[in-house]
Amino acid sequence: MSPLVPGLGGLIKGSPVPRDNDSAWLLDVHRRGIPGADTMARYHDHDEVDMVIVGAGAGGGTLAQRLARRGWRIVVLESGPFWDPDRDWVSDEAGQHQIYWTAPRVIGGTDPVQLGKNNSGHGVGGSMIHYAGYTPRFHPSDFHTRSQDGVGADWPIAYEELRPHYERVERELPVAGQDWPWGDPHAYPHAAHPVSGAAEVAREGARRAGITMRVGPVGITNGVFGNRPHCIYRGFCLQACKVNAKASPFVTHLPDAIAHGVEIRADSHVTRVEFDGAGRCTGVVYMHDGVEHHQRAAAVVVAGYSIETPRLLLNSAGPRFPDGLANEHDQVGRYVMVQGAPQVAGRFAQTMHQYKAPPPEISSEDFYETDPERDFARGFTIQTVGPLPIGWAEHVLADGHWGHPLREYMRDYAHWTTLGLLCELLPQPENRVTLAQETDAHGMPVAHMSYSQCENDRANIAYGKRVLEHIWEAAEAQDTLTIDRYAHLVGGCRMGTSPETSVVDSDHRAWGIPNLFVCDGSVMPTQGSANPALTIMALASRLADRLGDKRVGEARAATAGAHV
Amino acid sequence: MAHSFQTGEHLPHNRPEGDPPDPQGLPRQRAGVTPQMHGRFPDFDVMAHREHWDPVTRRTLEERVAQVPACRFFDEREQRTLGAFLDVVLAQDSEPRIPVLQMVDKKMADGKLDGYRFDDMPPDPETWKRVARHLDGFAERSDAEQHEVVRRFSGGELDWDDLNVSRAWSVVMRGALSEFYSHPWAFNEIGFRGPAYPRGYMRRNMGPTGVDPDEPQEAFGLDPVRDLQQRSA
Repeated sequence: MSPLVPGLGGLIKGSPVPRDNDSAWLLDVHRRGIPGADTMARYHDHDEVDMVIVGAGAGGGTLAQRLARRGWRIVVLESGPFWDPDRDWVSDEAGQHQIYWTAPRVIGGTDPVQLGKNNSGHGVGGSMIHYAGYTPRFHPSDFHTRSQDGVGADWPIAYEELRPHYERVERELPVAGQDWPWGDPHAYPHAAHPVSGAAEVAREGARRAGITMRVGPVGITNGVFGNRPHCIYRGFCLQACKVNAKASPFVTHLPDAIAHGVEIRADSHVTRVEFDGAGRCTGVVYMHDGVEHHQRAAAVVVAGYSIETPRLLLNSAGPRFPDGLANEHDQVGRYVMVQGAPQVAGRFAQTMHQYKAPPPEISSEDFYETDPERDFARGFTIQTVGPLPIGWAEHVLADGHWGHPLREYMRDYAHWTTLGLLCELLPQPENRVTLAQETDAHGMPVAHMSYSQCENDRANIAYGKRVLEHIWEAAEAQDTLTIDRYAHLVGGCRMGTSPETSVVDSDHRAWGIPNLFVCDGSVMPTQGSANPALTIMALASRLADRLGDKRVGEARAATAGAHV
Repeated sequence: MAHSFQTGEHLPHNRPEGDPPDPQGLPRQRAGVTPQMHGRFPDFDVMAHREHWDPVTRRTLEERVAQVPACRFFDEREQRTLGAFLDVVLAQDSEPRIPVLQMVDKKMADGKLDGYRFDDMPPDPETWKRVARHLDGFAERSDAEQHEVVRRFSGGELDWDDLNVSRAWSVVMRGALSEFYSHPWAFNEIGFRGPAYPRGYMRRNMGPTGVDPDEPQEAFGLDPVRDLQQRSA
């Protein structure tokens, strides 16, 4: 189906097609839903499938596609709906409330993290339905910040183990951008998109300030790619791409997964993982239309992201695992991370209408690595963002305005352009997800997320904001407005080398439970200052290779010295 | 009054008192509706482009304008208090007003919440109720008194025993702004072209050469009579 070019060595922009993934060819040019959904495989609850995956997002979707290609029988249970974008999505900021996780959650700590539309997806495709579209790789240094910089943690795997999967996923999305000089230098399969006037002003300011910015990297088609349409630059990336130009598992992996026998069972909220007497999982319990069901499976993969994954592991406590699954050493839910994501907007004489472009346009990783000249470890990334009116109103409010001043800044929207940061905030054990007293509509305790910044975090954010202000000064902005906020979520079930300090091993397997895996952003021990989507997919791709090749060894016990 | 939007002198940060010029000096809206009928883009009406939108989006926006449900969540006393409060924080001092109170009421009544609450706060609907209770009598106060109460509320300077004031400000303002700036009348006022599917955009560069056909054109804000006099002087 996909026209592979034999002997194609290096990357020729726009030409490469992905290996073993026909998703883009399985879509319909004139409809946005997944055509194969109508004839999708259906399994019975009492069928023991090879694998049940909880969550149809970046991790679960990619893993399902890879293993289905190897003949695994897989059911993916997704709490939210199975979208038909033509029918369900609107080109409107407020009208897209449905794509976020809006069930109750409780937040605390000294610096609470707002959830919902900021970082939590709901429905088939997961949070990549609403992510901006930036798809940078992590730097090699991200995998050993403890040894190198004395902060964070070392991963049990190195960058080199993910590199082939980064390359493969970049072709699948496909990623468009200039050649990338930072981290492990690399090129992208699609050329950089044209840049809007709003981003051009930011780029000129950065140039004058001595900062390098490049166009991309974004998971947005820029050329011929199967039946995926070209981007129309309408600026609604964060409200779900009704065009199908922006990559998400919905268009990049699930069509192929479904064509290879995967069932995506939507509106199915998993409440517990089930066990036999020997401590192996036997499947999951889930709620569908208010009725409890059980899906049997030979292996269970939890891919619900940094809040729902720990919540499910904790809520699955029973006689054998009184503190929750893989939690003998109180590690589940800890080391949850978000990135510091303040934004500073600059005002210019001419109008530029910053909504007339995808928010992700240009970025800089000049400040990514630890610099001994600065008073903190690790660093940050600079990226364009493009707030729509409600986002812009929150920005103006955060700068301290209400009433007439707020209305005046809002009327001035056409003159502004906005830069944001992603600051690498450090993993801390007390930043964690626990179960609250309150329960949700299914009777399941809701998640409580506690978050507090450390000194290094505050210094990083403060320095980054000064850099943004410096860029706007260099660009000769007439005024600036600032908002402090967070972006993204990772960690909470981190991978490591021992059950005392982690939840899963380097094969994503829960310590002490041979057939339970976690495959989402929660396994990340550190977050870098890169948007996490591409790395979550690359991790899932690597795990699929290891499971498919039967390279995942015998389980090790949760308690050192014991045998399973 | 004559002002140009090029210089940025109209912006609160660039003015000694931090207050913008009186919006009554802005052009009157000629096409469509803006809240209070003043705006920077007097000939721009986002709804005039509805035929270019996909049917689901068109229905969503048409209903947002046409269907203003009566309040079911706030009682009459709360409506009076919160209505007056919302008029001040959103500077809606005359008709036509975007019916933000009714829009917030609908969201609270339908339980369409944002997916989180602070652990020292009640759920958002209860926060709104408590704010209404603490602001009771707001509607009867003078303009200056109302302004002072809101100033103290925004700065976290009020002392409420059962509410964290800064967080309550964040909850109600987030709620109010999400409704106000979802309304097509507000799009008209700020020159936002709204839905852009399946149409997309043609030109994206800065300034006059980046203007798309049908793009909102900013008024210069010049008084034509005085402008003519100055030029012929």
